[in-house]
Amino acid sequence: MPHDSRSIGERVAILAAFLASSDAVRVRVERDDEEIEVARYVRSTATSATPARSDGAAVAEPPPLRVDAIKADLVGIFRLSRPLPFEGELLEDDRELAFVEALGMRNPVRSLGSGRIVTIAAEDGAPVEYGQPLFLMDRG
Amino acid sequence: MFRKVLIANRGEIALRINRACQELGVQTVAVFSEPDRESLHVRQADEAFCVGPGPVPRSYLNIPNIISTALITGCDAVHPGYGFLAENARFAEICADHGLTFIGPKPSVIAAMGDKATAKRMMHEAGVSTTPGTGILSGVAEARSRASEFGYPVLLKATAGGGGKGMRVVEREQELERAFAGATAEAEASFKDGRVYMEKLILNPRHVEVQVLADEAGNVVHLGERDCSMQKPSHQKLVEEAPAPNLHQDVRDMLHDMAVRACVHTGYSNAGTLEFLVSDGAVYFMEMNTRIQVEHPVTEMVYGIDLVKEQIRIAAGERLGYSQHDLVARGHAIECRINAEDPRNHFAPQAGTVAKVVFPGGPGIRVDTHVHAGSSIPPYYDSMIAKIVAYGESRDAAIARMERALRETLIEGVHTTVEFCAEVLGTPEFRSGRYNVGSLPAMLGSAV
Repeated sequence: MPHDSRSIGERVAILAAFLASSDAVRVRVERDDEEIEVARYVRSTATSATPARSDGAAVAEPPPLRVDAIKADLVGIFRLSRPLPFEGELLEDDRELAFVEALGMRNPVRSLGSGRIVTIAAEDGAPVEYGQPLFLMDRG
Repeated sequence: MFRKVLIANRGEIALRINRACQELGVQTVAVFSEPDRESLHVRQADEAFCVGPGPVPRSYLNIPNIISTALITGCDAVHPGYGFLAENARFAEICADHGLTFIGPKPSVIAAMGDKATAKRMMHEAGVSTTPGTGILSGVAEARSRASEFGYPVLLKATAGGGGKGMRVVEREQELERAFAGATAEAEASFKDGRVYMEKLILNPRHVEVQVLADEAGNVVHLGERDCSMQKPSHQKLVEEAPAPNLHQDVRDMLHDMAVRACVHTGYSNAGTLEFLVSDGAVYFMEMNTRIQVEHPVTEMVYGIDLVKEQIRIAAGERLGYSQHDLVARGHAIECRINAEDPRNHFAPQAGTVAKVVFPGGPGIRVDTHVHAGSSIPPYYDSMIAKIVAYGESRDAAIARMERALRETLIEGVHTTVEFCAEVLGTPEFRSGRYNVGSLPAMLGSAV
């Protein structure tokens, strides 16, 4: 059965990378029986763009979005931890966001520090493969 | 029959297993490493999961991720192919512990045959003739004493070995200490088991192996022999053929009889191969491979039996359904291994991208490959990229067909063994069918 060999997580990661490198705040792809939409979480400071100055002086740019992906390092079933993390949530510290259940073991997925959850890239209860993005985090 | 099989391998053998499963109406799950994401075996399976990065220990030998993949996708069996986990008894046990059928023999038999010294002892018990040799050597002092007893030259071999790793030829006593240290270190590095044993070296024998099939009810048949004597200096096979040419019928019968006897004695089930050295009419058991072999297609061509389907059927508990009497070899088949290697540079492996590829076709030609134009050849894996198999009603017809097939083959982007295989086929030794394991190294020596 022919199919796009990339996992959903990888396709989401590609769209997120595109989003991060462009001015767009939302991108949506519809194909056959699937739809993927990735949106940028826009902070208030980032939206108050400073107008360009005609005298050539430096213009204050909004801080760039530093998106990184937390990926699965083993194959198993992805499950969100409690309290349920949500997109846009700001994490002050390292925290368990989810776990990958494999061979009866619960393997925690941590936020690896502070940041904002941009996207939860895997579906709760779905199988995940090695290297699949699970969360996209804004570390900015 | 199984509902869904996980294929724990890559490359052409993963595709081969996928094809067998599809024809049996069995769904498949492929596993792959990150650099193999675009591979054909990934595209053609019903489902596919990445199990790790490029290096083999973290992907194709990553047992937890492979087993987890099988479980979350609802597989009921695992086919290991060849190499990687195919002869790992512990993996077969873990499969069973998780309710998965390992498509191969029982773990205890894999373990016994994987330990070369144990295998030799069991074969001796079964009345199979073996090379004069030792058990596992305690050290260089014992090696020296036993070598004097057999007479030089002798061969040091890793008990967990294969593919020429951990093997050293020792021609005189002065070389023994250094060879022992080298074999032990290489065996430790390759197999995490540095134990070695010694055999009397049979000078320039033929490598002849017998294919067997056995079901779980104890029915055993052989599917004739293959001659695999055309080997590189590293002892890796390059050209194989079935049946073996110029083999006296008495020797042929003896080999077949020993192979069946060995299977009965060891309680073997599934497909397997017993490798023998043949020299001056004498035969010596070398080792048993408890898996499908790379060169299995030559046997399939002359017997008309799909060995991979038979493996799956047997593992699913089905009986063979035929007896030795029903199996008749017809014609002749030759296989050339097309490796991404530079034959003019000690067969150095070539990683890179295949820019252009045209494989041969037409009557009597079979090509098992995972390579297409644009395929990348990662540096992590075996360099074999295709097997070209030619069938003919006679050996001469098979040779002519293979030569035609090699001329049709075009692979650009990496060096390959295509032209070298054609040269081998053109040698008087191959033409006459009178060659042995020393022939190809001698040919390379004279070319230099």
